[in-house]
Amino acid sequence: MFTKRLLPLALVAAGLAPFAHAAELRVLTHDSFELPKPLIAQFEKQSGVKLSIIKAGDAGAMVNKLILTKANPIADVAFGIDNSLVGKAAAAGVIEPYAPAGKVLQSLPDGVVSVDYGYVTLNIDKAWFAKNGKPLPTSLDALTTPAYKDLLVVPNPATSSPGLAFLSANVQGMGEDKAFAFWGKLRDNGVKVAKGWSEAYYTDFSRNGGSRPIVVSYATSPAAEVFYSKTKLTESPTANLNLPGGVFQQVEGAALIKGGGERAAAKQFIDYLRSSPVQQALQTTMWMYPVNPAAAIDPVFKHADKPGAVPAADSKAIASRGQQWVARWTRVVLKGGQ
Amino acid sequence: MLELIDITKRFGQRCVAERLSLSVGAGETLALLGPSGGGKSTLLKIIAGLEKPDAGSVHFAGADITAAAPEAREFALMFQDFALFPHLDVSGNVGFGLVERRVARAEIRERVEAALAQVGLAGYGARRVFTLSGGEQQRVALARALVTRPRLMLLDEPFSSLDANLRQSLQQVFRRLLADAGIPAILVTHDRAEAFALADRVALLRNGHIVQQAAPTELLASPADAWVARFVGFDNVLGSALVPEQAFCFGDAQPLRRVEALEALAEGVRLTVAFEQGPLRLTLSPREAAGLGDGLRVGGAVRVGIDPARMIPLPA
Amino acid sequence: MGGALDPRGAQGRAVIERFDPKRTALTLLPLLFLAVVVVAPLARLLAEGWDHLSANILTDAYLRWRIVWSLIQAAVTCVLTLLLGVPLAWALARFDFAGRTLVLRLLMLPFVMPTLVAGLGVLALAGPHGVLPFNGQDTPWLLLYGNLFYNLPLVLRAGVDGIAAVPASRLAAARSLGATPWRTFWRVEWPAVRPWLASALCLVFLYCFSGFGLALLLGGQRYATVDVEIYSLVAYELNLGDAGALALAMMAITGAAALGYAWVEKRLAAPGKLEPIAPRKPATLAERAWLAVALLTLLTFSGAPLIAVLGRALMAGPDAWAVLAEPDTLAALANSGRFSLIALGLASVLGVTHALIARRSLWLRGAVFLPFIVSPVCVAFGLLLLYPTWTASLALLLSAYALFAYPFIAKALAAALDALPASQPQAAQSLGATPWRAFWRVSWPWLLPAFRRGLAFAAATTVGEFAVTLFLSRPEWMTLTTLIYQRLGRPGSANLDAALVLSALLMLFALLAFVLIEWPSPLERARRALAGRAVAATELPHA
Repeated sequence: MFTKRLLPLALVAAGLAPFAHAAELRVLTHDSFELPKPLIAQFEKQSGVKLSIIKAGDAGAMVNKLILTKANPIADVAFGIDNSLVGKAAAAGVIEPYAPAGKVLQSLPDGVVSVDYGYVTLNIDKAWFAKNGKPLPTSLDALTTPAYKDLLVVPNPATSSPGLAFLSANVQGMGEDKAFAFWGKLRDNGVKVAKGWSEAYYTDFSRNGGSRPIVVSYATSPAAEVFYSKTKLTESPTANLNLPGGVFQQVEGAALIKGGGERAAAKQFIDYLRSSPVQQALQTTMWMYPVNPAAAIDPVFKHADKPGAVPAADSKAIASRGQQWVARWTRVVLKGGQ
Repeated sequence: MLELIDITKRFGQRCVAERLSLSVGAGETLALLGPSGGGKSTLLKIIAGLEKPDAGSVHFAGADITAAAPEAREFALMFQDFALFPHLDVSGNVGFGLVERRVARAEIRERVEAALAQVGLAGYGARRVFTLSGGEQQRVALARALVTRPRLMLLDEPFSSLDANLRQSLQQVFRRLLADAGIPAILVTHDRAEAFALADRVALLRNGHIVQQAAPTELLASPADAWVARFVGFDNVLGSALVPEQAFCFGDAQPLRRVEALEALAEGVRLTVAFEQGPLRLTLSPREAAGLGDGLRVGGAVRVGIDPARMIPLPA
Repeated sequence: MGGALDPRGAQGRAVIERFDPKRTALTLLPLLFLAVVVVAPLARLLAEGWDHLSANILTDAYLRWRIVWSLIQAAVTCVLTLLLGVPLAWALARFDFAGRTLVLRLLMLPFVMPTLVAGLGVLALAGPHGVLPFNGQDTPWLLLYGNLFYNLPLVLRAGVDGIAAVPASRLAAARSLGATPWRTFWRVEWPAVRPWLASALCLVFLYCFSGFGLALLLGGQRYATVDVEIYSLVAYELNLGDAGALALAMMAITGAAALGYAWVEKRLAAPGKLEPIAPRKPATLAERAWLAVALLTLLTFSGAPLIAVLGRALMAGPDAWAVLAEPDTLAALANSGRFSLIALGLASVLGVTHALIARRSLWLRGAVFLPFIVSPVCVAFGLLLLYPTWTASLALLLSAYALFAYPFIAKALAAALDALPASQPQAAQSLGATPWRAFWRVSWPWLLPAFRRGLAFAAATTVGEFAVTLFLSRPEWMTLTTLIYQRLGRPGSANLDAALVLSALLMLFALLAFVLIEWPSPLERARRALAGRAVAATELPHA
């Protein structure tokens, strides 16, 4: 029988599976981390260490895993700590500050080294609005009016980073009480809450399977729609809807983990993340803007309507009040208001 | 050869054996006869090593085997449902024990074929066991047990699921094969005819005790008590004695007695007749029946009496 | 004496107990595994949040409603799958038709599908842009549909196997004693199939209760089960006190369900007979209609979304299919194969050993479902706390796969062991086989069909690997499923198409695995052929 004969072999193979150790740099990242393989190989060759990349869920879960294993760090360096999480990570004392030289467009506090930045904002399905002859909403409050009933889908801030980012932008833009009043009205106006970005974008957004033409996504998503289109599009089928209080500027960074090893290589890796080739590449792998001004912007980004001046996110407020916001949001939106 | 000493076994409240002792000699066939549910099968499993007795010991050929694993005893157990292995063909079943004894493959083939021929199933080797009839399955089970040349054969109601004709012919095969091989055997059955047909000696088991053990003729000649007498087939058990067929006498000297029931048989007539002690049953040959005339009908009367000298007394 | 009066349990136990001394180490294996991979991490996580552990969270009306809602929808799904599943199972078990074996293998495909992909399939049918003329999104109907998609096959498969295992002679006896086919079903088949359904329904309950389901995806967070709360408390808020209290409360409910299953199965356990009935061609118009309706129902609930995914993949065009030649895809395919094999090997060992000890007590039998009783996110974070240096190891990831796969094997084997007549291993021992040899040569062949059935489900879960994102992983460990999720993590129609094509590949891969795992042995073919002939010869009228 098939399995009977192969299983012992397979088990032996598992036993021999690679646990061979060269000098190894353990890099903890969120699930979206991706760089072209040649770039990784190039770094390994230059530095003489082997990169061991460990994916730990999305950014929020990753930071919590770092905090939980503080006493016995599971990585030497982490990538993907953004401005909404940096306060929490720093307060928990998992970061060993590092400050490389060099001019950057965006920076992060608490010794976390910024690598890229982007925006969480609303995306619209252009075809839907054209077909239904509906004008685009001009403010967040407009979304609470009957004209925009049942048109918005958002990822749950309790289980999704972009969801939390959008909520943070609301709170920062409107103030806490107004923001939750807004969400109360949104709920009454039929906002749909999805578990995560993928669910919202692929099952509820009208561009794909769903019926809702407005979705919380990233500012670069319209560019990605062009980049990943089947027939090379000249225009994106989606567009950004950058409304005041509805745009969150996200800055992602890398950090040395307190108690981790391979310090020199870890620093070298962070520097490498900021180097031009990586900064160039990450634009179309992770769909973020480079912080290094020397890196050329990819032409496909012209399809992304980059939001103008956005107030810098208040990392401290997010770190201290983020959980309360989520709890209150859950109460208002999912529990039916209190 | 086999000796059970003071075996005790209980399942909760139910007592299966109570300080029970038993022995079987070389080449002897012993029948364990008793009513259904009397613990006979459990006793067989204790002998086979499939159950542990609560107390007592099992000896074979002088060695204490109470703790020996069933596979180490080299006894063969034949189950009531035959327990043929459905995933193996007939040869696979018969050769099962030989494989365990690490017999060479060629020899296994030879011995299996010989065993199948012995039970009249030559050429059945490749058949699936579930394609066989009940009698064929039974013979496969027998071949499977015999082919390993067991030191002792244990048979658990081996014929109970077969029809009467098949049963008789297979019982003869059994007797012959066991005798030829000189293998001692213990047969568990609730059927007295089967016990008398196969066994050299019969042990009667009741409520965990052996009530009596003796050769079939001896058992019939002097049953230990009324229960035994009834169980081995005597219809007419009176308080302290029983009335066998040979104790009835006919003729004009006998008083007329009323016929209460009458049943025609191929070999004569079976009557129930009212005696002072109560109704008694007797069987008449056609010749005897003809001699009784027209009184031989339900409600009629026949002249019949009892010869007290031929009655069998029962121990108090 | 005989089976009539001797408690069969006592007979069976006698043999099993004799197995013990030599196999104590082996039987300790699953308990040790559960202790290391589930109990200790969970305890560690609870200890971490111990100081803040309070039942206060349970006084929250919203959370209480979530718990009640979780219970309601799990119970409703159980009832629905049962009502729908039993008549369907009867038709599939009794009637023969071209492609029947294939349908039984295809039945398990929903299990493999990542939830998001299944959701895409459903929406392609009944979504706003679906091929059907109505939009079911955000209606309770789609919610129901989503639950049936995953759970109907589970109940159906158990029902088919259970009904097929009813000995022909028992049915014939009932019919000859004057029972109509319906009464025969009610008095003979139903009692025999109940233990099979019990374990399937227990699983359905546990799945729905913890709710990693399609229903929640389609219905939105309004319909979220408590598990989402636990996830968010642990992974995002690091509020281990409240998470622990909630997880314990959940475990009380799921644990009760598992014990209930164990009790039912133990009580209903009866030795079986290897005398199954082969399916026959439907004879009357009514029977043909029945079979047709059954197959259509199955197609509607469990087939259609898969066909929709397949259809969309096919329509994606050759550019999209080029994804199959990408090195990432090939690597993921190789990983899926490799990991599944290893995880299944591990799951087999654990499943067999746990099934053997499951007969000892109700607790051990209920513990078969322990991996589904505990909250996966709690286990994942507990592992992280307890074995930080091991968390990024392949061994741990594969252990996690095996953990969620082995209950299928264990429960299938435990049921088959109950049905094994005690005389079989006893006969082998009296013929000179040691307990181990008797197990290998006699019991194991008897258990094999159940083992393979369990293995097929186990394979489906290892390929589907729903909880894997909770554990640390590495890019080089990318499997087909994670690759699909990665593609669906980015915008763009090419990504969507690639995900659909990869899902088609996943289905093909899983189907191949199912067919190989349940490839009929010569014995089964012989028995089937024979039973077919026997039934043809002595067919009972079904009218």
